[in-house]
Amino acid sequence: MNLTALRQPGARCLAALVAASVLGLFSPGVFAGSGQEKLQKIRAKWKPGEAMVPEFLTLYPCHEEDQPCGKLPPPAVEKVAFKGPLAGDAARGEKIALDVRWGNCAACHALPGAPGGSVGPSLADYPQRRPPVQYTYQRIWDGRVFNPDAHMPIYGTQGVLTEEEIRDVMAFLYQGKK
Amino acid sequence: MNKSKAGLALGAVAAVGAIASWQAPAGEAAKHDYWPGREKVIPHVSGDRRFSGTYDNWKDEASIRAAKAKGLMSHEMNFKDFRWLEKSFDAWPVLEEGKEYFNQPNAAGKSCASCHGPDGEKLKGVYANLPRFNARLGKVVVGPTQIRACAKDYLGIDGWKENTRPNSVLDMYVAHLSDGRKVDVDVISPGPLKEAYERGKNLYFKRTGQFHFACASCHTPPTVGNYLRGQRPSTFFGDAAHYPIYHFPYTLPGDDLAHVFTLQHQIRSCQMLSRMSQGTEGSRSMVDIEVFLKASANGYPMSIPTQEYNMSTDYLKR
Repeated sequence: MNLTALRQPGARCLAALVAASVLGLFSPGVFAGSGQEKLQKIRAKWKPGEAMVPEFLTLYPCHEEDQPCGKLPPPAVEKVAFKGPLAGDAARGEKIALDVRWGNCAACHALPGAPGGSVGPSLADYPQRRPPVQYTYQRIWDGRVFNPDAHMPIYGTQGVLTEEEIRDVMAFLYQGKK
Repeated sequence: MNKSKAGLALGAVAAVGAIASWQAPAGEAAKHDYWPGREKVIPHVSGDRRFSGTYDNWKDEASIRAAKAKGLMSHEMNFKDFRWLEKSFDAWPVLEEGKEYFNQPNAAGKSCASCHGPDGEKLKGVYANLPRFNARLGKVVVGPTQIRACAKDYLGIDGWKENTRPNSVLDMYVAHLSDGRKVDVDVISPGPLKEAYERGKNLYFKRTGQFHFACASCHTPPTVGNYLRGQRPSTFFGDAAHYPIYHFPYTLPGDDLAHVFTLQHQIRSCQMLSRMSQGTEGSRSMVDIEVFLKASANGYPMSIPTQEYNMSTDYLKR
């Protein structure tokens, strides 16, 4: 079900409006918007490094089947194209990757110059493995393109990280050990 | 293709996709993303053989002792070396507090003991069969909801809600009256419990929240057996047999529960850590998840009070 959606807030916003109005679902809570729209809403009130504000978590599918969030469909798979060059802020990327209340990559991965969990593969030697930049970008944005059962959070599609933050994390990964 | 054309075309595709995902055929469950493994689950603790494969190291006391003697690590015994084999000394004052609430008379001189016997002697073994269908309330209930309803309807106490201190310590007290009894929640016979189990199973494997995780994302392999930062998650089989659990020093913001984590409270804690919207303790879906977890401990003896963290440092010598 690899739905190809361009990472273009305008296009997806329009599509969403069409879909929502066709179905008469245009009420807050039932239609929660795209990941990047959610992200804008969240970032107006939440700063990375702080505890997540609970009210925003109802924007995503939840366990309470009697609540609107319990009926939300899973987010559609987003296919994205990386446009170079790779010019993120590696120091900020490291902070994002290590912070529990930001990207928290270290929960599952060992990272260049930093130990971490072992659920995901070690990324300590990431630059030496020379993975294509496009692959890395898509993997972080929405890994379901490669594997529908991928464990990793879908950082772009869900609006966990901004596009800029994903680029920063990539800069950190490709920079390798300092 | 230029940008705007691509945007329009893909927007249309997105719209179709969005519609498709809302039009689940009548009578069928809504379509969600599920973590793999639902089809392998059975409502018995030995079901872990199909998951973490460590069951034979912790299936009974002799196995745990043998595993310890072999030098296996706690996660290879599903943490039963301290969460099941050893009682929590620190939790005894909590049981004392629970007993006080249990025997505490209201203005009319009535207490829990009026119906359930002094110190709850008639409640022995009951907790091993919870959650169960309560005909009076017309739904499947967990221990804390039973306590809330009893307190309100029979004692006129309105304040012992599921997430309050009196409720939590009472829950642990009543659960400890079933210490050693084998968990037995019948989710095979047709009825509300079986339905709750099936819903709970789906919820346990449903991907939710900002990280798009399921409960099962952490509590089945390959995450079980690996490190999440410095921690190793448990396999969910057999876990419910030692809940409510003494969870010192960890608490959720705003807690005043004497460090008692009922299973409902534990689920909320997991949801918070995984950036999922937290459920309400005692709600239908939260009860469904508890039914699933408790039935996944079927056949395993209850052990109350035990403690979430290993306070012994013996393992450092191994």
